[in-house]
Amino acid sequence: MDHFARLGLPAALDIDASTLDRAYFDLQRKWHPDRFVSKPPEERARASVEAASLNEAYRTLKEPLSRAIYLAELKGVALPGDGKTIDDPELLTEAMDAREELQEASSVAEVDALARFAREDLEKGLVDLLRMFSANDKAAIRRTLLRLRYLDKFAEEARARRMNLERSKR
Amino acid sequence: MAYSEKLIDHYENPRNIGALDKNAEDVGTGLVGAPACGDVMKLQIKVGPDGLIEDAKFKTFGCGSAIASSSLVTEWVKGKTVDEAETIKNTDIARHLALPPVKIHCSVLAEDAIKAAIADYRAKAAKKDEPKAAAE
Repeated sequence: MDHFARLGLPAALDIDASTLDRAYFDLQRKWHPDRFVSKPPEERARASVEAASLNEAYRTLKEPLSRAIYLAELKGVALPGDGKTIDDPELLTEAMDAREELQEASSVAEVDALARFAREDLEKGLVDLLRMFSANDKAAIRRTLLRLRYLDKFAEEARARRMNLERSKR
Repeated sequence: MAYSEKLIDHYENPRNIGALDKNAEDVGTGLVGAPACGDVMKLQIKVGPDGLIEDAKFKTFGCGSAIASSSLVTEWVKGKTVDEAETIKNTDIARHLALPPVKIHCSVLAEDAIKAAIADYRAKAAKKDEPKAAAE
């Protein structure tokens, strides 16, 4: 059963966060170990397997980018895994330039401005993905997801850079 | 997890960080990325008239193992011919730096980067020879 089905949701990119939360919390209550303490061992075991799968489904679908990557996989668009490299010059030049800019940023305000651009870019990409998924344009989905992967990594690095700058100020 | 001294040394004192002129005819540039971890690596070689790699530079945004792997490769390729440099395997890099299993993929990135740099250099060299061949 895929993660969407496990939560009783349609396999789609645009899932409302509160709908997802509600589906998860309802099912989590249903399979909560406390409700199975007095049940036979096989039922207890089943409940704990269900609860673990449920948690994994929720973790995968909660973040929009992670959800998009998972949905793409379901549609047969797998991104390169560990140890697999890409050599798309346009995409990588963009990622390299952005990371250089971040490295050179010397104030929290600069880092925040860069992080804001990245976040807007990421959000725009997620909107673009909606259209690509409905057109089932696999090449475009793959390329956009790779780009968003790098933007997401950039956002993570920006947070780390910001923390370093904050710390050195003190 | 314990990292080897060699790895730490390359990470703390990376060799050959920087850039060469990517438009120069004798410079080959390899730009590769590992989307799973968000790493990006640029590795460049400058080939002398004698066919030996006389300079190599890199710039890597990634974890310590990725930085160390690319630093090591730039050190290794200097003084080698392009054909020799092409034989560098990620397993050699991983063994030399004693990379832990979860970091083996960083050495793959470095191998792919040097291969890409060599391919770029060869493509430029072939292009340079083209008009001459046509004139003959």
